[in-house]
Amino acid sequence: MPLRTVLSRALAILVLSMLALTAPPRAAVAQDTLQPLLQQYAEELASPSRRSFGAVADALLADGRPGAADFLRRYEAREVVQRPEDGLFFYAEDAGDLVRLIDVDTGAAVADVSSRDVDQIRANAGVRRVIAAALVPFELNAPERARREAALDAISRSAEASQIAPLADSIAQEPDPDLKTRKERLFLLLTAQFGAERAERLEAIAALGGDTSIEARGVLNQLTATRTEVAPSLPESANIARVLTVGEDLTQAEAYADLVDAGLAEPAQTPSELRAVLAENIVDGRVGGVPVGRLSDPMARIEAYEALEDAGAVPPRAAPDEAAQAVAAHVFYDEYVLNDPEITTAAQDALDSTAQAIATYQMADLVLDGLSLASIFFLAAIGLAITFGVMGVINMAHGEFIMMGAYTGYVVQLFIPDYTISLLVALPLAFLVTFGAGVAMERAVIRHLYTRPLETLLATFGISIALQQLAKNIFGTQARPLTAPDWLGGAITFNDIVGISTIRVAIFVLALIFLGVLLYILKRTRLGLEVRAVTQNPGMAASMGINPDRINMLTFGLGSGIAGIAGVAIGLYAQVTSEMGASYIVQSFMTVVVGGVGNVWGTLAGASLIGFLQKGIEWFNPSNTLAAQTFMVLFVILFIQFRPKGIVALKGRAAGD
Amino acid sequence: MSALLEVSGVSVTFDGFRAINNLSIAIGEPELRAVIGPNGAGKTTFMDIVTGKTRPDEGRVLWGEASLSLLGMSESAIARAGIGRKFQKPTVFEDQTVRENLAMALRNKRGPFDVLFYKTNRQARARIAELADEIGLSDALPRRAGDLSHGQKQWLEIGMLLAQDPRLLLVDEPAAGMTPAEREHTTELLTRAAKTRAVVVIEHDMEFIRRLNCKVTVLHEGSVLAEGSLDHVTQNQQVIDVYLGR
Amino acid sequence: MAKTTLAPRKGFLSENPSVLRFLGLLALFTIIISALAEGFGVGVISTSFLKVLGMTLCLCLIAVAMDVVWGYCGILSLGHFAFFGLGGYGIGMWLMYARTEGIVRESLANAPIPATEGEVRDAIATQIFSVVGSTELPFIWGFAHSLTLQLLLIVLVPGLLALVFGWLAFRSRVTGVYLSILTQAMTLALSLYLFQNDTGLRGNNGLSGLQNIPGLLHLPQSTIALWFFWASALALGLGYLLFAWLVSGKFGSVVRAIRDNESRVRFLGYHVESYKLVVFTATAIVSGIAGALYYPQAGIINPAEIAPITSIYLAVWVAIGGRGRLYGAVIGAATVSLLSSWFTGGGAPNINLGFYEIVWTDWWLVLLGLGFVAVTLFFPKGIGGLFDYLVRKP
Repeated sequence: MPLRTVLSRALAILVLSMLALTAPPRAAVAQDTLQPLLQQYAEELASPSRRSFGAVADALLADGRPGAADFLRRYEAREVVQRPEDGLFFYAEDAGDLVRLIDVDTGAAVADVSSRDVDQIRANAGVRRVIAAALVPFELNAPERARREAALDAISRSAEASQIAPLADSIAQEPDPDLKTRKERLFLLLTAQFGAERAERLEAIAALGGDTSIEARGVLNQLTATRTEVAPSLPESANIARVLTVGEDLTQAEAYADLVDAGLAEPAQTPSELRAVLAENIVDGRVGGVPVGRLSDPMARIEAYEALEDAGAVPPRAAPDEAAQAVAAHVFYDEYVLNDPEITTAAQDALDSTAQAIATYQMADLVLDGLSLASIFFLAAIGLAITFGVMGVINMAHGEFIMMGAYTGYVVQLFIPDYTISLLVALPLAFLVTFGAGVAMERAVIRHLYTRPLETLLATFGISIALQQLAKNIFGTQARPLTAPDWLGGAITFNDIVGISTIRVAIFVLALIFLGVLLYILKRTRLGLEVRAVTQNPGMAASMGINPDRINMLTFGLGSGIAGIAGVAIGLYAQVTSEMGASYIVQSFMTVVVGGVGNVWGTLAGASLIGFLQKGIEWFNPSNTLAAQTFMVLFVILFIQFRPKGIVALKGRAAGD
Repeated sequence: MSALLEVSGVSVTFDGFRAINNLSIAIGEPELRAVIGPNGAGKTTFMDIVTGKTRPDEGRVLWGEASLSLLGMSESAIARAGIGRKFQKPTVFEDQTVRENLAMALRNKRGPFDVLFYKTNRQARARIAELADEIGLSDALPRRAGDLSHGQKQWLEIGMLLAQDPRLLLVDEPAAGMTPAEREHTTELLTRAAKTRAVVVIEHDMEFIRRLNCKVTVLHEGSVLAEGSLDHVTQNQQVIDVYLGR
Repeated sequence: MAKTTLAPRKGFLSENPSVLRFLGLLALFTIIISALAEGFGVGVISTSFLKVLGMTLCLCLIAVAMDVVWGYCGILSLGHFAFFGLGGYGIGMWLMYARTEGIVRESLANAPIPATEGEVRDAIATQIFSVVGSTELPFIWGFAHSLTLQLLLIVLVPGLLALVFGWLAFRSRVTGVYLSILTQAMTLALSLYLFQNDTGLRGNNGLSGLQNIPGLLHLPQSTIALWFFWASALALGLGYLLFAWLVSGKFGSVVRAIRDNESRVRFLGYHVESYKLVVFTATAIVSGIAGALYYPQAGIINPAEIAPITSIYLAVWVAIGGRGRLYGAVIGAATVSLLSSWFTGGGAPNINLGFYEIVWTDWWLVLLGLGFVAVTLFFPKGIGGLFDYLVRKP
């Protein structure tokens, strides 16, 4: 009982809405079956053509019989067959080797036949597009969300004036809030383009102002499209966007080229044309009396041409100032393609306010980009900063620890196929591996070189090239994948302009965690206290019973371990290669030096400065990342001139010399 | 006796810590002056300011008859103007010979190209021999400075100071780590030098200062607490409280 | 040695017999190699190996410069290979321009109408720059037609860059590892700049065909290689002499004092920054000259040659050879670069361990890295120090 009521109600709504939508001109309706109607158009249905099918589809839908829309949909899906004996149309379903024919009206199975006994109707892509467009008004109210969405996609792809009414009607009934918003916006877009009433149209255009979606901007740009024109004087009738000044908006040469294109001037002779003409007129080693040998001089070429001109052998040459005169005698202007000043002005205003909104969003996007770059630099540099700050040791192999961490992640993924679990295993494991490597390196090499910082730099460089080559020998030269789990794969998109990939958010969060943990370790733990003591005065710390050897070892291990974790994080969004560390090491140095040594906050400041600045420079010249990096490095060099000790500098006698 | 060096109203702060507080000192030429004070009184910082190593936050440091301000000048320019300095820890160039050390300090043109095309001469050699004799290192001239004893290094540094022929010598704890005999020699060197130029000695050792027999300035918390003969300042109650009383 | 500094100068060479010995050995080496070279028809030494030797001499020269700036003055510059590269680009521009000009003129010679200078220039520009999608000659190529001007630039460009950079860095008293990082940043900036296609030096394609010397195309490469070998030997000899003179005497004394205790030197009245600047700039210029001799023998230069890592390798050579002694730098550069080409060129026999075969092309860098660590730890004075030890205690 209840099922039946639900069904009948649904049917009633469907029928009612179809009535409302199609607004059939005729009162003849629903009792009729579909098959007779189909037979009226049997020929076109059996062999559809893109050009004629639109009318057929419209006619079928306009008749208002139930199932017409459904028929078209299945027709589009190539599920309709024709039985050659009686010419009836059926839906076809697979039934083993046979084809099961289903009545288009009753939905009952009629017969199972061999596929050779029926004619398959093959609607080509063009026909299917036509059907899709015709079905849009019906699909807009389809019960399935996906179909309504598809219909909206179809409208955005090919907008037409006829879609305005059905779209407007479907807005009120739309249950899904997202789709409703989308419908409303599409309605605005359609009205702005095709609205019948001027006031309505202007209103829609104004409402599009500030909308940063590509669709809205596309419509406004289309409305304000211009073409460059040239005329002896400014035409009265044209809808002029702006008048161009030769020398400012376009060069003399461009202006002349426009004149030539518009047929208002003869093309000027190019040097190579001149050369070709002269070459054709060589007579006894002379051209117009000028010896060929002299023609390497441009003036002699003109002289020769003029001689030929006098002899009537070649067409007259444009006088040098002819082009300038021609340009001066004409006005150059941009004209709106749409000759409707009211609309174009409104659209231009709307575009201007959109431009402002875009600038704001771009700023926001830039900040996000900068933030994410800064967190990467922070992660890459903080380990270095710790070892540099506490021990005064420059570790050139730091980049290789990053690489080691990334390869650890890769190896873990080879054994644990689940990306989430492998990531959870890889992070601590990378820490342990690089912690161990760091401690080993400190014990074996660095502790012998504490009094010779420059030699530490070089010794660790030796380790760096050895480790890099080892990685190459083990893992090969090609990049290895370190795949992020799916939940890190996507992106968080705020609108068409502001967006950030989830992995970068994760790196940002990781950087924050690091910052917190490091601050905690340094400020709140015994180890931190001892580390700070050794940083400030190793001799005094030693006399207070702190073992600087142990502290140095642990600090170096900690710094290296952090590099390992950073390696996993960086490997997730960049490639894991044996050279990945090397590409971060110089940036990391600069981060540490700019920020100021021996201070977590300093590294944070350095990373932020470098990250934001690099993104900022890229924003000015987005096509050239190399140039941005070049300027970045130059900036760092200059910055150090003015703050040799970095942003957060230790001051006074403790800083030493 | 006109003032050769005049420090007035100088203050300097490190991270909120006021190392020098409205300090004023005048040194004449010739004069021997001892500066004493407890740790952290600002003795070394005072030298740092005069020699250009540290920039004060406020105050004036004037030099010579022309009352030249030393504040804008680089360390090397101040040294060339005639102020020589000996550090607390002996700092000689250990990898080079005593002769090379002295030759470098010898008063000559200091520009890189002057030095590059410099050719040694009889006069210079005589001066080095004389200095070596004065600091008792005549036999050690060809030796590496790093191989000298602690006291010898101190003398070599004093010798380098004299070679510069400065008008003002700033000497930080010259007698530290010396045997009594060596101290005697050092006292002699300094008093002799003070006959023709100004010498400021920073020292902890009261016995040593008594032997110098000169005017004493007591610094405390970055400013002058008392000034006068050693007997005079040692009877000052404040001085006894902050320094001697400990 | 001690007496020499203040004894009346009888002449620099007689006071420094080691310099004379070095020059003698270099001359002997040059004569022997020349006699065995293909250019003289003996052919024991192939032209390609002669080029390797000539290039090695250039590397020795820049290593000597590096030793002066680092071993004597204490500035661990990670930027001297940038100056070397600039010198290479300087000569490369002329070589490429002049050679292309020859080709262009030859091909235009058959045209019915002789070409104008403008047409020639355009054709040259198209030839050289079509690879980066441009047909215009960038303004920095303005002097490329003239060997004299370009030779001047080889000296001026590295010199000026070193002067400006050094002045900025030294006056703000950046020292030690900071200075090293700063020089590394300079090198990085330069290589990034050159990697760009639109900066006028053909991006990562670099300049190529430099082994073809315009005007000498009729000569066989074996002869040209010999000439360049001689020129490199001469440059190394002169450079060695210049620097040996520079670091001897009082100037050398001051420079070494700066290395050991910069602020003490300041209190002696020396303007430390000027000294550093002189040393930095002089060595940069010599590095540029070394580069200008090196790249015509190598035949190609591209921005990767300037990448920061090459400058670090330079420091490694000097450290292995032994800092603070000029012949140490020569030994280091020659040993490591020749060993390196022996190992990576497949000259070294692979070692079969049964379960694993050590292929030296793969393992050479590991060996070099670890060997370098060992040298730093156990022989801080490098091979040169070992040499001293053996000479003094036979």
